[in-house]
Amino acid sequence: MRLRSLPVLIIALIAAALIVVPLVIDLGSSSMNLLIMLFVYIILSQSWNLLGGYAGQINLGSAAFFGCGVLVTHLLWKTGVSIFVSIVAGGMSAVVMAGIIGLPTLHLRGAYFAIGTMALAEALSIVVRNVFPMALSVPSSFTANFNVFSRYYMGFAVAALTLAAVYLLVRSRFGLSMVCVRDDEEAAQATGINTFKTKLISLLISAFLAGLAGGVYAFNRFYFHHISAVFEPIWTFEPLMAVVIGGAGTLLGPVVGSAFLVILSELFAETLGEAHLIIFGILLIVVVLRSPVGLMGWLERWRRGVAALGGKAKQEKGL
Amino acid sequence: MGMFGQTIVYGILVGAMYGLITLGLGLLMGVMKFLNVAHGTFIVLGGFVAYWLFAFYGVNPYLSIPVVIIVMFLVGLVVYKVTLSPLLKLPSLGERINSSMLITFGIIYVVDNLMTILFKPDVRSIVGPFTGRSIDFIGSKFSVTGLFGLAIAVIVGVALYFVLARTSFGKHVRAATQDSEAAGLCGINVQRTYLISTGIAVALAGIAGVIVVSSYSISPNGGLRWLLVAFVVMMLAGEGNLNAIIPAGLVLGLLEAVGVLLVGASYRQVVALVIFIVILIFRPQGLFTKRSLHY
Repeated sequence: MRLRSLPVLIIALIAAALIVVPLVIDLGSSSMNLLIMLFVYIILSQSWNLLGGYAGQINLGSAAFFGCGVLVTHLLWKTGVSIFVSIVAGGMSAVVMAGIIGLPTLHLRGAYFAIGTMALAEALSIVVRNVFPMALSVPSSFTANFNVFSRYYMGFAVAALTLAAVYLLVRSRFGLSMVCVRDDEEAAQATGINTFKTKLISLLISAFLAGLAGGVYAFNRFYFHHISAVFEPIWTFEPLMAVVIGGAGTLLGPVVGSAFLVILSELFAETLGEAHLIIFGILLIVVVLRSPVGLMGWLERWRRGVAALGGKAKQEKGL
Repeated sequence: MGMFGQTIVYGILVGAMYGLITLGLGLLMGVMKFLNVAHGTFIVLGGFVAYWLFAFYGVNPYLSIPVVIIVMFLVGLVVYKVTLSPLLKLPSLGERINSSMLITFGIIYVVDNLMTILFKPDVRSIVGPFTGRSIDFIGSKFSVTGLFGLAIAVIVGVALYFVLARTSFGKHVRAATQDSEAAGLCGINVQRTYLISTGIAVALAGIAGVIVVSSYSISPNGGLRWLLVAFVVMMLAGEGNLNAIIPAGLVLGLLEAVGVLLVGASYRQVVALVIFIVILIFRPQGLFTKRSLHY
């Protein structure tokens, strides 16, 4: 009982700390930016997790959806549209892209969807590079009244809403059908689940979330030297990695994975440069091979172990 | 002939290279059900082997192919031993495909960044005795490097066909995928068969890399472009239909050449993506197969 309420308590404490601490203590702009990036990664990895972890469809082109979010949000916002509307529009643009690639590929084996998304990201990157060859920036009036708090709380709010949405979604009837499709597509179809529709809806929601992540990211940036950079595969690789390391198909896994990734990138990027991506790549391979359950899986095992020791030895078969 | 004839010639020469690029990917995916997302990275790596042999020892890129084959074959053995062989334990082919995608996605980051550190992120190509030369024939220009690419694509394609269709090794590979348990009972060493085929697949990527570096250019992060081309060709051929890969490459090359004529060269890859989506909608089983991929 104590063990079960403990995580809820910890989450509430962390959330409260994230809201209150920046107001009380001056964290400095670099830590604030790091936290904003953490929120972006949490939203982005949760988007990957919803589709990859729960519905079992591997997306190798999240960058396409993220990039659409960044681009559309940036372009709308700087013409004077409210930032809230811009971010939602960014999310919707990602949904449109997801429809274009999802409708033809989700009928087929998962590999086609994976490569389709990868190709989409690459094609968008090329189109955007041709259409926007120059650097993009917002008007100088925006930079004058810059306020890091609005970025921070925007990131926090969207990340919290994303987590809540995924939490509710996977507990709904639809969430069950997603997990069914992941575990055994044919069996799911036999029980009357429309597998194509399930996969498509998960993709559209996932793309919307990735677009929102792009919006939050765009809100925090005034200047893009090459806007096509937001379509680059690194924006797929890092959230994918956060999910796999944290634990795919769990709510908190991607959060833990994102924190892990942001901290490690910060530590490694300065000292090792490109070499930090080599370490990440090796880490990804090792986790997929050795422990597909990720950090949350280990934690779960450890918790069960503790519960079994605490006088509940009968439940040991649940291990 | 003029502009249109030249476009056709260009399409054929590029298309043959597209076919060559796809053979390794098609072998791994079609026959062994590993989706090697790092295929483009291996093409670049093979290209770098040829590039350094040329840069340091002045070896003609086409003569360095045997060395590239040996080096890349060994790379393939290591890749299989370390990362792919544990996947044979997975219960379904779908899981095997998904896990191999994630693992090879990790390999991209390991190898790409290793190459960036070791070789610098520059774009490189071999400027050899044949570069820029062309032969005039029936009113069109045939580039010499393109013709070499065409010849090598045909030779390698035919050789692969003979290995898979006419040797006992080829039989073992096909048997191991159709039913690995039954193949094992018949005395086929499944792990060893897969080990060698992965070596061959990566060596094929290396050969493609030699052609790429002598007709185009390579850079440590440039693998993705070739992977996507290879995937479109594999889909045109129909998954598992290795004999159709070179013809499918020609089809893509021609379609792309005509498309580029219409929308401009900077949108080359977008043309390929549009072809990809159109094919997925109308003929997801590929142009050359009748089998359906639908569930």
